[in-house]
Amino acid sequence: MTTTLAFDLIGYLFVASSVVSLYRVLWGPTIPDRLLGLNVASAQILAILVLYAAKEKLHVYLDVALVYDIFGFVGILALTKFLEKRHRKGE
Amino acid sequence: MIEILLLVHLILAILVLSIRSLFTAVILMAIFSLFSAVLFFVLHAPDVALTEAAVGAGVSTFLYIWIVKRTQKEVK
Repeated sequence: MTTTLAFDLIGYLFVASSVVSLYRVLWGPTIPDRLLGLNVASAQILAILVLYAAKEKLHVYLDVALVYDIFGFVGILALTKFLEKRHRKGE
Repeated sequence: MIEILLLVHLILAILVLSIRSLFTAVILMAIFSLFSAVLFFVLHAPDVALTEAAVGAGVSTFLYIWIVKRTQKEVK
C-alpha cells in the first residue's frame, strides 16, 4: 500500500520535473538551448519508464525504456549533426 | 498523470503547427513523440509505446531532419 503510494508520488514528481524542463524547449532563445532541454526531458521520461517497469514488475516495460534510450540517442545525434553543418556554413 | 500528459500534448501540437523555424518544429515533434510514448506506456500498452519510441524518436526525427537539410529552413 505505502509502496504503491510512493511509486505514484515519485511518478508525479518526475512528470512535473519533465514539464518544468520543457520550458527550455518551448521558450529557449537559441536552438542549442532547445536541444539541451530535449536531452534533459528525455532523461526524466526514461526515469519514468524504468520506474513503471519496477512498479509493475514486467520485463516488457524495461524493453520500452531500452529502445527509447537507443533511438532517442540516434535522433539527438542526427539533430546535432545538422546543427554542426549549419554552423559551419556560417549562418 | 494522463490529464497532465494530454495537456502537454495539446500545447506541443499547437506549437509544432504554428512555429516558423522548421528545425525547432522537428525538435518539438521529437519531444511530442516522446510524451506520446509515455502516454501509451501509462495506458498499459507497452508494445505500442515500443513502436512509438523506435519510430517517433529515431527514424522520424532522422527523416525529417534529412528533408529539412535538403530543402528550406524557414516557412515562407
